[in-house]
Amino acid sequence: MAEVTCEGRSIREINVAIKSHIRGGDNEITVRNPGGRHNLGVAILEPAHVTIEGSAGYYCGALADGSTVEVTGSAGWGLAESMLNGTAIVHGSAGNGAGAAIRGGAVIVYGDAAARAGVSMKGGLVLIGGDCGYMAGFMGQKGALIVCGDAGDAFADSMYATVCYVGGKIAGLGNDTVIEALSSADVEFLDATLERYLPFEIRKTKPSGKNFKKIVSGRRLWNFNQRDRKIWQEAL
Amino acid sequence: MLETSGTFQPGVIEEIQRKAATGLYAIRGYGTLRERRWATFDDLTFLPCSLTRIPLEGYREKCSTKTVLGTRHAKKPIELDIPIMITGMSWGALSLNAKTALAKGAALAGSSNTTGDGGMLRAERDASRCLIYEVLPSRYGINIHDMREADGIELTIGQGAKPGTGGLLLGSKVSDVIAHQRDLPIGVDQRSPARHPDFLGPDDMVIKVEELREATDGQVPIFVKMGASRVFDDVKLAAKAGADVIVVDGMEGGTAASPAILQEHTGLPTLAAVCEARRALEDIGVYGEVQLIIAGGIRDGVDAAKAIALGADAIYIGTAALIALNCNRAMYEIDYHAIGAAPYHCHHCHTGRCPVGITTQNPELMKRLDIDEGAERVLNLLRAMTLEIQMLARACGKSDIHHLEPEDMAALTAEASMICGIPLAGTRKVFGS
Repeated sequence: MAEVTCEGRSIREINVAIKSHIRGGDNEITVRNPGGRHNLGVAILEPAHVTIEGSAGYYCGALADGSTVEVTGSAGWGLAESMLNGTAIVHGSAGNGAGAAIRGGAVIVYGDAAARAGVSMKGGLVLIGGDCGYMAGFMGQKGALIVCGDAGDAFADSMYATVCYVGGKIAGLGNDTVIEALSSADVEFLDATLERYLPFEIRKTKPSGKNFKKIVSGRRLWNFNQRDRKIWQEAL
Repeated sequence: MLETSGTFQPGVIEEIQRKAATGLYAIRGYGTLRERRWATFDDLTFLPCSLTRIPLEGYREKCSTKTVLGTRHAKKPIELDIPIMITGMSWGALSLNAKTALAKGAALAGSSNTTGDGGMLRAERDASRCLIYEVLPSRYGINIHDMREADGIELTIGQGAKPGTGGLLLGSKVSDVIAHQRDLPIGVDQRSPARHPDFLGPDDMVIKVEELREATDGQVPIFVKMGASRVFDDVKLAAKAGADVIVVDGMEGGTAASPAILQEHTGLPTLAAVCEARRALEDIGVYGEVQLIIAGGIRDGVDAAKAIALGADAIYIGTAALIALNCNRAMYEIDYHAIGAAPYHCHHCHTGRCPVGITTQNPELMKRLDIDEGAERVLNLLRAMTLEIQMLARACGKSDIHHLEPEDMAALTAEASMICGIPLAGTRKVFGS
């Protein structure tokens, strides 16, 4: 296992050190004293496990393909944004836009997420162990967004084909949303996903799969139809 | 005698009746259709050498067109043979053949082309000599591997045809291939977001620019592109955020689909935009350090030369390049008529039924655009425009087109004089100063 210390180094030097270890064959790297630095572990394209001991700033683990970035503290905006594949795990909470525009992989937040978690997601999984802020799932295109706690206002607004699940209360649904009955496949997926990604001590406090609500797009904003004038007025 | 209302003219009546029937704003492509009553590059004239300055031989003396972008931070600045580049237009809005022909033509001319709101097309990368990879609010098709193959990254905040509003691709163009590329359901009317999903203001953008630089190991220049709005402030903020190159896209810029009112009634004209952008860079002491690209309705080497003289390092063209590919050419006229258009009057890019195979995803229509022939036409346009710039530069006594300066021109109108800070023809004064 290799170590990278952030103190006294620029972000360029930190990321170069992380990637240098990976190229040298170290698949497990611990980053110490991150101090909430932005852009930690950006664009790691190998299946390495990078553990950031502490909290990270914006875009931690962003633009990844195949890596695992684990933050033992909290993370700032744009956690793992535009990830192609891989895993980002945050033990604490995440700022705005967690998992924004991901095309694959899994973004796991044990705590809460601020506004717009899973915004414009194009695939993969965004799993929030706690609550999430407003407009989570906004314009979600594909993939699954799971919120174990409560969801904020305008949840799942203007989505394409992302499927959302909420274990707690929803402050308000966004435009063009439909609450759909859970299928047995949904329940199985939820239970298996929570089992896979959340540690037991956290998972045991969360609802089981059958107690989630499922939210999908109503598809009325997919193409303009003048009969749906009211929803368009609000949406646009 | 039949009288017509000056307010409710036939076109206005038709538009009101269309709205009454559909309940929706008008959508179309191409860019502003208004007769230009604002100050444009046509309101400036060059002042070639006579006794006060010595001209270069117009057809043979050396006049460099080499253009270097991204000298501020990037390890590998972009070096182009000419100052005219192909702007970002999405694969989706444009056909595969059009994107590839543009890339190939630009490469042959020693220039660059840019991806667009749909990610990178492999054929486009393969045909490019220098490819700029756009990072847009939608992040459609975003792929770190493609990004790392690029020669420059362009963080797009907005575009001139519709600053402050996201892209639009109507369902007729969201084919199975395009839907797959963009991770969208087939056939949806795709309305792109206006804001980036992971940053909002200029302070956050500093971090975003750093992220893009990290993702590309600091190798390539980071561009920031914006629609011309509050240019003086926006350019300063982009420069402060660490941009190597700033692109300002004026209101004459094109689009494949947008609400018509945005194309007609938002943003600043390109002439005003270039003047404000230069002043902004000078104001914070980075003019020359941060390169400036100007876009928006550039038609020929004359527009380009004037923009360069006013402070641009390079020029983006979009619509002009599509016209080189036969946009609006008098051919396949029945198909123009079928979409309610005609050669020279077509702005129906949004329909996906482009008669000449440019703005379509229909395989049969796409075949009408031969990639090699298209590339040759783009090459010829770029060459001819460059010759025009050189001709004007030599006449002004410049051995490098980048030596053109405001002093090489006079303003033909009071407005242009005031906007450009150039004396009004026949006077020694800048109007309003």
